[in-house]
Amino acid sequence: MSRIMMLGIFEDEDGILSAVAAARKQGLSIVEAYTPYAVHGLDQALGLKRSRLALVCLIAGGVGAVVKLWFEFWTMAVDWPIDVGGKPWNSLPAFVPVTFEVMVLFAGLTTVAAFFMVSRLRPGKKPKLVDPRVTNDHFALLLEETDSTFDVDRVRALLKHHGAVEVTERITGEVLA
Amino acid sequence: MADIALSPPLVVGHKSLAEVTHDVCRPMERRPGGIWWAAFAVTFSMLLLGVAAITYEIATGIGTWGLNTTVGWAFDITNFVFWIGIGHAGTLISAILFLLRQRWRTGVNRAAEAMTLFAVMCAGIFPLIHMGRPWFGYWIFPYPNFRGSLWINYRSPLAWDAFAISTYFIISATFWYVGLIPDLATIRDRSQPGLRRTIFSIASLGWDGAFKTWNRYEMVYLLLAGLATPLVVSVHTIVSWDFATAVIPGWHATIFPPYFVAGAIFSGMAMVLTLMIIARKAMGLEAYINLRHLDVMSKLVITTGSIVGFSYLTEFFTAQYSGNQYEQFVFLNRALGPFFWAYWTMVSCNVLIPQLLWIRKIRTSWAAVFVISLLVNVGMWFERFVIIVTSLHRDYLPSSWTSYRPTSIEIATLIGTFGLFFTLFLVFCRVLPVIAMAEIKGVLKHGLHRLEAHR
Amino acid sequence: MSDKYWRSLEDWRNVSETGDAEFSETPIDIEAGPDRRGFLKAAGFSFGAAMLAGCGRTVQKIEPNLQQPEGFIPGRPVYYASTCGGCSAGCGTLVKVRDGRPIKLEGNPSHQVSGGGLCAVGQASILGLYDSRRIAHPMVDGKAASWAQADAFVQDRLEQARRAGGAVRLLTGTVHSPTESAWIGHFLGSFRNARHIEYDALSASAILDAHERTHGARILPRYRFDKAGVIVGIDADFLGTWISPVEFAREYAAARDPLGSQYAWHTQVESRMSLTGTKADHRVVLGPADLAGFVSDLHDAVIKGGSNRPEVLQIAQRLRDARGRGLVVCGLQDVAAQALVNGINEALGNYGATIETDRASRQRRGDDRALENLLAELRGGAVDVLIVAGANPAFDLPGGEAVAKAKLLIVHAQRMDETAAKAQAVCAAPDVLESWGDVEPVEGTACIVQPCLQPLFQTRPLVETLAAWSGKPGVALDLIRDQWRQEIFPKAKSNLAFEEFWERSLQDGFAQYTPAARARTAARRESEPEPLQKMDPQDGFHLALYAKPALLEGRHAYNPWLQEVPDPVTKIAWDNYACLAPGAAAKLGVATGDVLGIQCGGQDIELPALVQPGQHENTVAVALGYGSQLSGRFAKVGPQWLEGRPTLNERGLVGVNAAPLLGFDRGSLQYFRSGVKLSKTGTTMALACTQEHQTVSVPERLKPAGAKIRPIIQETTLVQIRESGDRRAKESPRPELWPPDHPYPVHHWAMVVDLNACNGCSACIVACQAENNIPVVGKDEMRRKREMHWMRIDRYYSGALDSPRVAHQPMFCQQCDHAPCETVCPVLATVHSDEGLNQQIYNRCVGTRYCANNCPYKVRRFNWFNYVREDRMANLALNPDVTVRSRGVMEKCTFCVQRIQEAKIESKRLGRPVRDGEIQTACQQTCPAKAIVFGDLDDPHSEVSRLMASGRRYRVLEEINVRPGVGYLKIVRPDAPAGEEKENG
Repeated sequence: MSRIMMLGIFEDEDGILSAVAAARKQGLSIVEAYTPYAVHGLDQALGLKRSRLALVCLIAGGVGAVVKLWFEFWTMAVDWPIDVGGKPWNSLPAFVPVTFEVMVLFAGLTTVAAFFMVSRLRPGKKPKLVDPRVTNDHFALLLEETDSTFDVDRVRALLKHHGAVEVTERITGEVLA
Repeated sequence: MADIALSPPLVVGHKSLAEVTHDVCRPMERRPGGIWWAAFAVTFSMLLLGVAAITYEIATGIGTWGLNTTVGWAFDITNFVFWIGIGHAGTLISAILFLLRQRWRTGVNRAAEAMTLFAVMCAGIFPLIHMGRPWFGYWIFPYPNFRGSLWINYRSPLAWDAFAISTYFIISATFWYVGLIPDLATIRDRSQPGLRRTIFSIASLGWDGAFKTWNRYEMVYLLLAGLATPLVVSVHTIVSWDFATAVIPGWHATIFPPYFVAGAIFSGMAMVLTLMIIARKAMGLEAYINLRHLDVMSKLVITTGSIVGFSYLTEFFTAQYSGNQYEQFVFLNRALGPFFWAYWTMVSCNVLIPQLLWIRKIRTSWAAVFVISLLVNVGMWFERFVIIVTSLHRDYLPSSWTSYRPTSIEIATLIGTFGLFFTLFLVFCRVLPVIAMAEIKGVLKHGLHRLEAHR
Repeated sequence: MSDKYWRSLEDWRNVSETGDAEFSETPIDIEAGPDRRGFLKAAGFSFGAAMLAGCGRTVQKIEPNLQQPEGFIPGRPVYYASTCGGCSAGCGTLVKVRDGRPIKLEGNPSHQVSGGGLCAVGQASILGLYDSRRIAHPMVDGKAASWAQADAFVQDRLEQARRAGGAVRLLTGTVHSPTESAWIGHFLGSFRNARHIEYDALSASAILDAHERTHGARILPRYRFDKAGVIVGIDADFLGTWISPVEFAREYAAARDPLGSQYAWHTQVESRMSLTGTKADHRVVLGPADLAGFVSDLHDAVIKGGSNRPEVLQIAQRLRDARGRGLVVCGLQDVAAQALVNGINEALGNYGATIETDRASRQRRGDDRALENLLAELRGGAVDVLIVAGANPAFDLPGGEAVAKAKLLIVHAQRMDETAAKAQAVCAAPDVLESWGDVEPVEGTACIVQPCLQPLFQTRPLVETLAAWSGKPGVALDLIRDQWRQEIFPKAKSNLAFEEFWERSLQDGFAQYTPAARARTAARRESEPEPLQKMDPQDGFHLALYAKPALLEGRHAYNPWLQEVPDPVTKIAWDNYACLAPGAAAKLGVATGDVLGIQCGGQDIELPALVQPGQHENTVAVALGYGSQLSGRFAKVGPQWLEGRPTLNERGLVGVNAAPLLGFDRGSLQYFRSGVKLSKTGTTMALACTQEHQTVSVPERLKPAGAKIRPIIQETTLVQIRESGDRRAKESPRPELWPPDHPYPVHHWAMVVDLNACNGCSACIVACQAENNIPVVGKDEMRRKREMHWMRIDRYYSGALDSPRVAHQPMFCQQCDHAPCETVCPVLATVHSDEGLNQQIYNRCVGTRYCANNCPYKVRRFNWFNYVREDRMANLALNPDVTVRSRGVMEKCTFCVQRIQEAKIESKRLGRPVRDGEIQTACQQTCPAKAIVFGDLDDPHSEVSRLMASGRRYRVLEEINVRPGVGYLKIVRPDAPAGEEKENG
């Protein structure tokens, strides 16, 4: 069944911040906020959890380091040991720099890849723009009907009260402008 | 907010979000002006000269350079270290200053990061072409082969270099691209349907400004900054190890890593200044790149410059204190030997002249800072030249002492890298936002709040 | 039988492992496996056999191996005993022939003259064989001709001369070939007015004349430096170019073994810094005008015991103390002075002890008086037929171009040189490696020259030509055999049949007999001794014309290896120059490289100046042998690129010919000229000098406070050696940072170089070049300090500028156990073997040059360009065992790893360990002074282990703990007080 959605457009970050706060106080369900830049404080306002990408980064780095260190040891001391300047087969200190570089490489690339995946960012993807201005200078807040208590007029009033320059009603499926 | 409360706004003049977008995107939407074309013509012909020189060298042999049995590296590795150093400032601004919450960086970080990439490209040429057989350059990476497998020598600083430089380039590029995505989306949505729009929409990966994405984006950016920071230090440390791990007096020094890193940031900062001062005039971004940037970056230049100067002194002291006559000789030979002119050029450009920046009037004069930044770049190039050539040309056995003078081919190659660097930068100015809009928008309000508070 | 003979081949390398076997005359014992000598017999014999089998009376063939001879293994070298044709010294050689082509020359260890060593010239002469620009066929009036045509032309003209009694003159260099002399006799005998004139461009004529006067025989005595206890050299560069350098260098080194019974004290009296002067314990620097005076003072001091010169008295005293052990040699071209020298030696009883007249030398037989007369005749147009053989008078004689004045000029030459270019008839002469011949350098030692391959061109040895023109045509081999049958064989009083005798001689490379003893007439004192030559000392500068060890009088100017080997003293290649004393240079206000005009006796040449320490104030020294037409061929030598500069000067030659400045005085060719005017031309010229800094000590201005002189060259004194008994002080174990997990289980190759024995002659450099296919890079690359020689000899001066002490230090890869070069190579292109070798893997090298930068000794060589080797024929001299390196890769000394491998495989095949001395590196093998010893440190009894334990042994830059595998033995300064020991060369 199609549900009603309310889209409020704001012209500055203060408006959307207060609107979000109010909306959550009234228990309205917020689908998503759209902003031209990372508005500070909006994450708390929306009650978003801290991303777990940091963990991914840590693990990837760890793996990279261990694998590379082992590989260096294996090639230098096991697979084909060659006398180089009389240095010991296992010249551990000399293996550190490359290990470090590979760790950073793994960590960095994996994190970004993970970010693209969870955020479903990929080349050629058609952006779901609620309003073309959100990448420029406008802020949008998208609320949706969850139960019968959802009153379109009350919501419109609330958004307007918090400085929405325009409020539009949309049906699921035609969210896009 | 106290610190910020005391400092002027990051962006002068009450700019609205729309105005920011407009200001930054305008240069890209206009057709390039005559000045741009003139500049491009110059830099591109420099680039072609370099290409010709390198082609001739690869076709004929390293003998087309002024090297000899004793001086095996000179212009090649000097240029390499020089460009890598330039690159480091970009990372410093985008990563380290980000971690330090230096919000003024937002005005310059995009351009600075671009600079990093281009500089690393210029640097990357040299490890390859300085080889006698560049077509086998890939041998310095370990890959399974039918020679045994014969791997590589992980004890060689050059092998470390290969990994450091490539990692550095990849991570910087990623960092830069991630930072670009929201702006690419902005441009996408500004531009009319057509090729331009298609390209940008592909490149912006379907960014729609959803805040959940913004939230993760912030985290990723933080993580990358966290990774890039030690990376940049490690890269120049490793570069310095090319020399520090050798047995050649004048190279064999434990002070090299910090000394090189400081020097790198020093030269990079100077280069950022040079570019910024040009870009801001050329593209009318006075509002975003303003006296405040000038002031702060000048301070950074003095700081790092002084660290470098201190390192020069320390080197002499250690040499003297070591009681090692070979070491002592090398430094006397640097200051008084055949290459004394190079040494004193280095000292005056890197240590003496930057001291002028203590004076506020000079620090806040665009012209003065511009000149100084150029001189610092000269000085830092000579620093690498001095370290490499004066140490090599007179080492242990006096019988094999020689001199060195560059050939036309080497000079052309150096010019060529500058050509490459500036050509890329000019193109970048045309096709990508030189200022990180999404970031600058985030800080528009800084300072303004304070002004209101004061009313 | 040939099978067994061939099996003896593998043993040839045990050179002198047992000194006795070396000289045993016992015929080889097949079952016991013959020794090297046996092999030589075998080689020689089978060769001779092949020859005989292959040739009728007239045709001679070298058998192509269509059917492989039994035991002949392709790829395994065969060594033939022959004689070197590089100069008139006549060193015995072993020619390394691989798959039918000679690729290297080595000294014949059992030969009297060479004693296993060979000089730079000998080493390089292999290129002479493969010189594609040789005269390929006879020429008449500048047009190619067949031998028949040429003979017809010549004989017709000769016939006219015969009938008309025209003056026929044969001008040659020293002829010490018994057969050639005989045939020259036959040939000239058929004319009424014919004469044979011998001359040496580097003449010793005065010595012979003096002996004619004092000893009644015009002979060049044989000097025995090895028996000497005191050596006085007066303007005689006997280690460099004088008479028989290889022989003298060996004996000199033997006489100066610090552990030997006596250590020869050597003083050198000279005007310029000669190679010999660099080794002298004491140098007297005198102007050319005063040298003769010095001789007479010394004469008086020795005979009358009085002189007003304390220096002379002191030398005389030493000589008297060493009666019969002293040796005074003099290179002055002044018969009177030479007579005085003979007087001195006679008075000291040196004749019969250190000077042999019974087994006189035949290495310099030139007669300058006859030569002077001939030139006069020529100028007067009194010569109808002039035949020049093996000489280039138009180039190396003053007024030599007069040869063109002869009505008919016939030249027997290998190359189109200045003389050949003027000839109506040119006879193409063969290289020594492709023709039969014989040589008797020292009376009683007759040596055979045997061909090692079919002649490459239509050439004909001189004897055949003479025989043909005498109407008795014959094949060289037969002519020589007949000569030997009639002359040598009877004298040898051998109990063998002639055939056997011949075979053995062929196998050995020589035959020895006792020459009829000369009635030793004690030196006659002339009633009125001829006055010494006077040179006006006041008259400006004196010119000293000298020869460089590599280029001699210029006969080898065609040879790129000899052009490129740096002069041992000045370290300059590809040029001659005017050496000036530092003082003189300062006075004239000239620096090295400023071009000077030199006027002398109407002649005028321009040469760059070179400031040469140790030279006499008003002497300017110029090397002969340059500016030869033969050097015109080097226009394209070395890389041709954007900023490359030509090797040739504006005249299209290498250097300038100084021979026109020579002159005759009282019947001898003069190398000193007075009344020389020097003028600045204002132009400068870059010299290809391979060593910029000349001392071990750093420039005063850059000297760190309290810094010692770098301990690169170390010296000791006889006293100290005798005290220490040449044992080392106990060495504390060196600090070890890592576990010693790189043992050398089987072999640990190492080398010791005796700096006291080394005289810098540079034979090793060329030997290395020949063995290891080292390219020639040309003057510009040398100037850019990019010489490719794997081995260099560092020459350091110390002490006063006008009388410096000199040290020669051969420097090459030190094969460090903790090699800095290996650690820094990213691609593992240079690594360490478990035999202690620092290996360079060419095909893995990408050419970062990091290893070279990190080499404390700077001995690595980089292929800056693709050094072209377009001369297909010269490429035949390449050693198939050594890779020819491509552009962009690093290379360096490998301790001749190919020789190590060869010996290891061989010993493995025979199931015995590698024997000490079995492996000889190219440099070691050729070293006349035997200054280089290579061997296995894992074998405690090896020679190298013994020397490593010597008290004189030190390592260069030991303090940086790279653990070099090469040890050096300190220079010995007999007189230096112990205090000076720290002083480094």
